[in-house]
Amino acid sequence: MPTLPRRSFLLAAAALGAGALTACAGPGSTAQRPGNQPVATGTPEGTVSFAHWRAEDRETFDKLAQAFAAATPGVTVAQDITPSNDYQSQALNRLRGGQVGDVFPTFRGAQFEQFVAAGVYLDLSEQDLVKNYETSLIEAGSQGGKQWGVPYQVVFNMPVSNLDALERAGISENPRDWDGFLQLLDRLRGAGLTPMAWPGGDIGNAGQLFNSMVMNNAPSDDACAQIEEGTVKVTDPWFIQTLNQYAQLRPYFQPNSTGTGSEAVQQLFASGQAGMLVTGSYHIAAVRALGAQFPVDVLSPITTAADAAKYEGVHNATFILGLNAASSVQPAALAWLQFLSDPANAGTYANDTVQHVTVKGVRYENADLNQLAPWLTRRTMLAPRFQFLDLDIRNAVEGSTIEVVGGAQPEQAAEKAQRIIDERI
Amino acid sequence: MRRRRDPAAPRWTIHLFWMPAMALFIAFFALPTFQALQYALTDWDGYSADFNNVGLDNFVRVLTADSLFRNALINNVKFLLVVLLVQTVMSLILAIALMRNTRTSILLRALYFFPTILSSVSVAFIWKFVYDPSFGLANGVLSALTALPRMLGFDVAAPTLNYLGNDATAIYWVALAQCWAHIGQMMVVFVAGLQQVPRELYEAAAIDGAGAFSRFLHITLPQIAPALTIVVAYTTIQSFKAFDLILGMSGIPPKQSLDILSTRIYTTFTNNEYGYAAAESLVFMALIAAVTFVQRKGLSRLGREDR
Repeated sequence: MPTLPRRSFLLAAAALGAGALTACAGPGSTAQRPGNQPVATGTPEGTVSFAHWRAEDRETFDKLAQAFAAATPGVTVAQDITPSNDYQSQALNRLRGGQVGDVFPTFRGAQFEQFVAAGVYLDLSEQDLVKNYETSLIEAGSQGGKQWGVPYQVVFNMPVSNLDALERAGISENPRDWDGFLQLLDRLRGAGLTPMAWPGGDIGNAGQLFNSMVMNNAPSDDACAQIEEGTVKVTDPWFIQTLNQYAQLRPYFQPNSTGTGSEAVQQLFASGQAGMLVTGSYHIAAVRALGAQFPVDVLSPITTAADAAKYEGVHNATFILGLNAASSVQPAALAWLQFLSDPANAGTYANDTVQHVTVKGVRYENADLNQLAPWLTRRTMLAPRFQFLDLDIRNAVEGSTIEVVGGAQPEQAAEKAQRIIDERI
Repeated sequence: MRRRRDPAAPRWTIHLFWMPAMALFIAFFALPTFQALQYALTDWDGYSADFNNVGLDNFVRVLTADSLFRNALINNVKFLLVVLLVQTVMSLILAIALMRNTRTSILLRALYFFPTILSSVSVAFIWKFVYDPSFGLANGVLSALTALPRMLGFDVAAPTLNYLGNDATAIYWVALAQCWAHIGQMMVVFVAGLQQVPRELYEAAAIDGAGAFSRFLHITLPQIAPALTIVVAYTTIQSFKAFDLILGMSGIPPKQSLDILSTRIYTTFTNNEYGYAAAESLVFMALIAAVTFVQRKGLSRLGREDR
């Protein structure tokens, strides 16, 4: 029998490996994506894959999908649910193939921008369904003058207040300036409460306060985007002023707030020991589940004088629904999106999931949703923190606020953050 | 002239034994590593069709101009040192104490091993609650410790530590959580090593008048060098890759005080810097290889002492 020296085998294996490596495509793909086009017309038919990350909404969407299938013969909807972290990292590649996600959402900010850039979204600008939405609440789904997606949920990323506690402290209306806000905090503290329960140990939730603190201080609405571009610096006076205001808030947070997680502050608030939960309206359902019985509202600190305040609060639009350019059932996918955009169906979603929606004319049955519903038409700013597309820059800027609450000097914290920003621009 | 085959030479079929392993190695390790190298030389964002070749720029940036990577490396070294020291020493002490196969020892070994079977994310959430400054067990225990002096009339304030909120010390507290989760696992490795040490060596040493510490230093330690090598190498790699623990305790991306190399690389991927993240990954791999190599060299000297 013939023999083959080991060296020859190794050479053959190396050649095989090199060949395989050469055969590997380089980064990316040269295939051009078809996106950024209008939706194809035709008769709706087939199965619509609805990809998303909200497992907690599965039953509600199933209910809506059944109603949709009954009203639209020949079309069914299949949900494709993945955890949000996996969705963030994998959705783009999965959706580009067109096998899943005929209708899909993105998070606001980096993911939305990435999907638009990759040509995954179809252009919805000319679709009638867009008229069903509150215009001021769907700007997060537009770019370059086109409406790529429709943000479906609305949350208010500003402190949630215990109305009973505010009444006990003698506060009947929201303060309109910074001094008024500090007085409110003093009164809450005087009533034996922790004025603000803030999860400084959880940077994702701690950063929600940043929205309220900069909404009126910032020199322009796109200041956070400009920080990332390098045209605005966090060492500028307006941001130092913001950090100084954070320093003023130190005595009003619970002790050791920079190490407290969001679960603990929810407990503090739900048990009635704190006047405000400094995260956002998305935690109301959680504090109800913890047994909170008192009425709640949202309340944003106004960091300027009353007449200089441009905004009363902050909202964010998440779950930006769109149609996949690679979908082979575009008319059916459009029909499903139209169905979700109907006020009655959006109302079903809102009331079942206890979330506000951007669709106009929805009747909210839940008491908390009703209480907060007027905020849908008030002067609220689209949460500025999500203008940051670079997570490291966002972390550096928001980290500086946590450091200041922890005792750092505002100027030093700002310089440290700016050094990281400068490195990354 | 045709060469005659050496009858002692192995037949070609012998190569079939190593080829499957080599094929798997090439497919699942060598090729991805080479491809990572290929990515690392580009500015690819992870999804675009276009990219530029940037040569070694990504590596230069990782090594010289990225303070976040440097911060993560420093945090990781702090984390590694605490875990390496505490986990190794504690697991060795427990192994010595529970080496005998009595019922009590076996029960206690099982109890100490229990945290190992928990997922890292569960461990993270358990310790997140332990460290919570308002409701956490750790401050609860500290508070309870001051109860007695207070009952005796001393004015002692209950200390409350801000475990994960103090940037200077947060990484050490996370390291202790890591130790809690893995001490039992390492203890089992040491127990296996200790049970292999011949008793005659101790008897001979005792006759020669060696004390307990001397016996440990000159018999136990060299004899368990292979187990120690496994523990140290495993702990090192585990410390560099403690991703889930940080994810559960701080979220992604974490605060700078809790950022380690694995979370840093993940954040870079999330930032759509695929090429740069690949460069970070390769530097990360080289670091683990270098540290493990140095440790193995050091420990192999220890192992040679018994020869």
